[in-house]
Amino acid sequence: MRARTPDREGVVQRGGVRVAYEVFGHGQPALLLIPASPITHARSWKGIVPSLARRFTVVTTDGRGTGRSDRPRAPECYAPAEVTADLLAVLDAAGIDVAVLVAHCHAVPWALCLAADHPERVAGLLAIDPAVGVAPPAPHTVESERRWAERVDAPSGWAMRNRHFWRQDGGYREWIEFFFGQQLPEPHSTKQYEDAVGWALDTDAEAMIAEREGRAAPAGSEAEALCRRVRCPVRVLHGSDDRCQPVARGRRVAELTGGDLVVLEGAGHLPHGRDPVKVTRLITGFVDGITGASMHTTTWTRGPCRPRRALYLSSPIGLGHARRDVAVAKELKRLRPELDIDWLAQHPVTAVLDAEGEHVHPASQWLASESAHVASEAAGHDLHCFQALRRMDEILVANFMVFQEVVEEGLYDLVIGDEAWDVDYYWHENPELKRGQNVWLTDFVGYLPMPDGGDREAFLTTDYNAEMIEHIDRYPWIRDRAIFVGNDEDIVPDTFGGNLPAIRDWTTRHFAYSGYITGFTPPGPDELPPLRSQLGYHDDELVCVVAVGGSGVGRALLEKVVAAYPLAKKAVPELRMIVVTGPRIDPAVFPERAGLELRGYVHRLYQHLCVCDLAIVQGGLTTTMELTAAKRPFLYFPLGHHFEQNFHVRHRLDRYGAGHCMDYATTDPDLIAARITEMAGKPVSYRDVETDGAARAAQLISELI
Amino acid sequence: MRARYPDSDGVVVRDGVEIRYERYGQGQPAIFLLPTWSLVHSRHWKMQVPYLARHFTVLCFDGRGSGGSGRPGDASAYNDAAFAADALAVMDAAGIGSAVLVSVSCGSFWALRLCAEHPERVLGSVFIAPTAPLVPPLAERRAQRFGEVIDDPVGWQTYNAHYWKTHYPEFVEFFVARIFTEPHSTKQIEDATSWALEIDGETLVAAHCGLECCDAAATRRLAARLACPVLVMHGTQDAVRGYAEGEALADCTGGALVTLAGAGHFPHARDPVKVNLLIKQFADRARR
Repeated sequence: MRARTPDREGVVQRGGVRVAYEVFGHGQPALLLIPASPITHARSWKGIVPSLARRFTVVTTDGRGTGRSDRPRAPECYAPAEVTADLLAVLDAAGIDVAVLVAHCHAVPWALCLAADHPERVAGLLAIDPAVGVAPPAPHTVESERRWAERVDAPSGWAMRNRHFWRQDGGYREWIEFFFGQQLPEPHSTKQYEDAVGWALDTDAEAMIAEREGRAAPAGSEAEALCRRVRCPVRVLHGSDDRCQPVARGRRVAELTGGDLVVLEGAGHLPHGRDPVKVTRLITGFVDGITGASMHTTTWTRGPCRPRRALYLSSPIGLGHARRDVAVAKELKRLRPELDIDWLAQHPVTAVLDAEGEHVHPASQWLASESAHVASEAAGHDLHCFQALRRMDEILVANFMVFQEVVEEGLYDLVIGDEAWDVDYYWHENPELKRGQNVWLTDFVGYLPMPDGGDREAFLTTDYNAEMIEHIDRYPWIRDRAIFVGNDEDIVPDTFGGNLPAIRDWTTRHFAYSGYITGFTPPGPDELPPLRSQLGYHDDELVCVVAVGGSGVGRALLEKVVAAYPLAKKAVPELRMIVVTGPRIDPAVFPERAGLELRGYVHRLYQHLCVCDLAIVQGGLTTTMELTAAKRPFLYFPLGHHFEQNFHVRHRLDRYGAGHCMDYATTDPDLIAARITEMAGKPVSYRDVETDGAARAAQLISELI
Repeated sequence: MRARYPDSDGVVVRDGVEIRYERYGQGQPAIFLLPTWSLVHSRHWKMQVPYLARHFTVLCFDGRGSGGSGRPGDASAYNDAAFAADALAVMDAAGIGSAVLVSVSCGSFWALRLCAEHPERVLGSVFIAPTAPLVPPLAERRAQRFGEVIDDPVGWQTYNAHYWKTHYPEFVEFFVARIFTEPHSTKQIEDATSWALEIDGETLVAAHCGLECCDAAATRRLAARLACPVLVMHGTQDAVRGYAEGEALADCTGGALVTLAGAGHFPHARDPVKVNLLIKQFADRARR
């Protein structure tokens, strides 16, 4: 799912060629982001658009030859005059008189032409890794450039940049895979690489060849003269490890235009993809400089006069975080009554916080929805949560930028992030941005590959784990305290993959254990009977509660369980089944049967789970641990491809001796009915779940302030 | 020892009064740190000069009646026009065409004059804890009777011409304590006290009387002519010039207001890091 969808979109048409554009936001000034098309298109800006669009009007375009634009085949269609005319037409169509241009690689010459020839339309130019012939090209690219039109036998490496090779079967793809491998020299860039290759494959060899042969970019003295004609403010960003365009080119463009140069040390050719936080801040600073954005009215409170403040981030993925975080916050306020806590949170966490009277920071409204993204990634009884997290990259960076603004303005002493992946990742990637003490909470450590993902998935999870381990190793001062919500034995016996350490050993070295945090105290033996009768359940019936959480993911499981109901009812006549469909599933899709009750929403569902005789649930940690704490028999069905539910949660439940794990794919209604018959109302002997987890976590946090 | 010494210094003479100035650094634009009331001299900028001079050209001078400058005895020598004319003479002597002005307290009067009457010399103006008599003075200052003879004056009653002539050090002690309302300000208090004791009560009386022309109407008239960028910063715990004065000045100049919550009347001395960063941020934008 995209972090932000455009407010407007459209197409301009020139000489029969349609060029697509999108407009985000309403602020001043306008920014026109120009990709190096057609090898890439507007989506290449996904890491920076959402945060820029909160302040500025942002216009993106798929240049001719790719994306939602047409793909003309004639080289003359890609002449600079055509492309710059497209860009002016896009500005006109979007109703933009003057824009700051942001251009990448070979889009920079187009931007320079616009700035030089139409100064009244261009307020400034920010060039990323400019491909401008004012300095020699990278030596390793010269030979392939020269032999572009020749027939080359079985080329490899840069020699694959060859018109004949691109036309061979698979040749273009092979070149693209090589090329972007070169352009992302930064370790742990798998997602950026997959994205870039994917966008390049949105076009084809013919459009790419036509563009290359029609490009006619100025070089030498002509390029120098073009740069010198630019009068607007210029900033150049250039990766020191850019293997496409040498830094000397960026330096020379800055000199000739009178602009400034920011060298991104260690960065490759796609810094807006790989270092979106830094690039966004450099763009914002550049734009503020141009507009001379006057200093705004604000308050600065003297250090000694500030109240103690914490910013609490609670992950909206899964339903469990909100209640445990509220419990921790309450304990923390008991220990430190003077502490003010603001929450940066989104639906459905905010619903819990509102009910508890907690203060939700108003900037929360800017957060892109993580739970909607996760829901969009689910299908049937399946959610590949590792890939879903990878594909959430643009949402994470968009939300990090919101967080960073809040934390810079809010003068917080303490940041508490319960699985706040964005904060943890981007503070390690941009450590100079850290503010205040930082607490990291999580209930699992380590990405684990699903067996059917093969070598590729094992490689990816290992790579993500390695990046995390390197983060902690290099910047041990980013997490001032890491708390594992659980105990050491809850950690899986696996390693992080490859040569990486065992997860439990590493976690014990880097985390403190709080024990599990349920966020509620289960009713004692004396409280159970009155609660059960208060909820409308009778002693002579066996109550089976079936619940699948708040998303639409659970429908497949509900259907299977409902299908099992008649069989189970026959075997257990006193069976009463309560099926909680949640807000996204219409109860009317299920057949009506005696003794089967379908409910859209159940207030305080955990109370029903506490008194039931059997529960049937998914494999999420919160619900299964509620049932464990309440010592109820239950069947749980981990979502397919959900490594956390299949490995981490299952391991923890096994340690508690709790629940009966079921495989959704191989389970039929007969088997469910048999299990219901076997388990409903039977006593269980689970290990006790601790009740002091929130207090222990709060104690660990309070020591920092 | 000072953290930084001037790169050049000099004296200009206007109407027989010597004005001593200092110049530091090379960068653009120039920052002109204006004098305030003659109670203290240009060393009150000591926490700003070394930092700002690494980035900008910094110019400052001892206002008439203070430090190394002359001490005319006549009140008419201390009106805002005289200070403004001194400032222009210093800019000319130091070869500074235009500058970002930074003023504190009643330095706002000469800053306003320069902005309104010599806009070509001003790139922007920062007002710190400005005197801006657009709103009533602080309630506790209503006890003030400058010209009357008061027996055993206390508090703001010591803000009194007769008292200063006989009990100047006692007044300084009182007044400096009102400047620094923040806890743990002993060093700032000692500094300001020692600078104040370099002059005498007679000089301060003349300096006070020279400014009586600067009333609400004059302030409003000058403020209305301001065209340059303006930044006002004012402490909420300012016990000399109320926070409402800074608010009113920002309002009538259209400038940005930075509220310094918990700060007193000399935030540039007590919270130098924040004030330095704000001045630099403002000057960086004025350069363009």
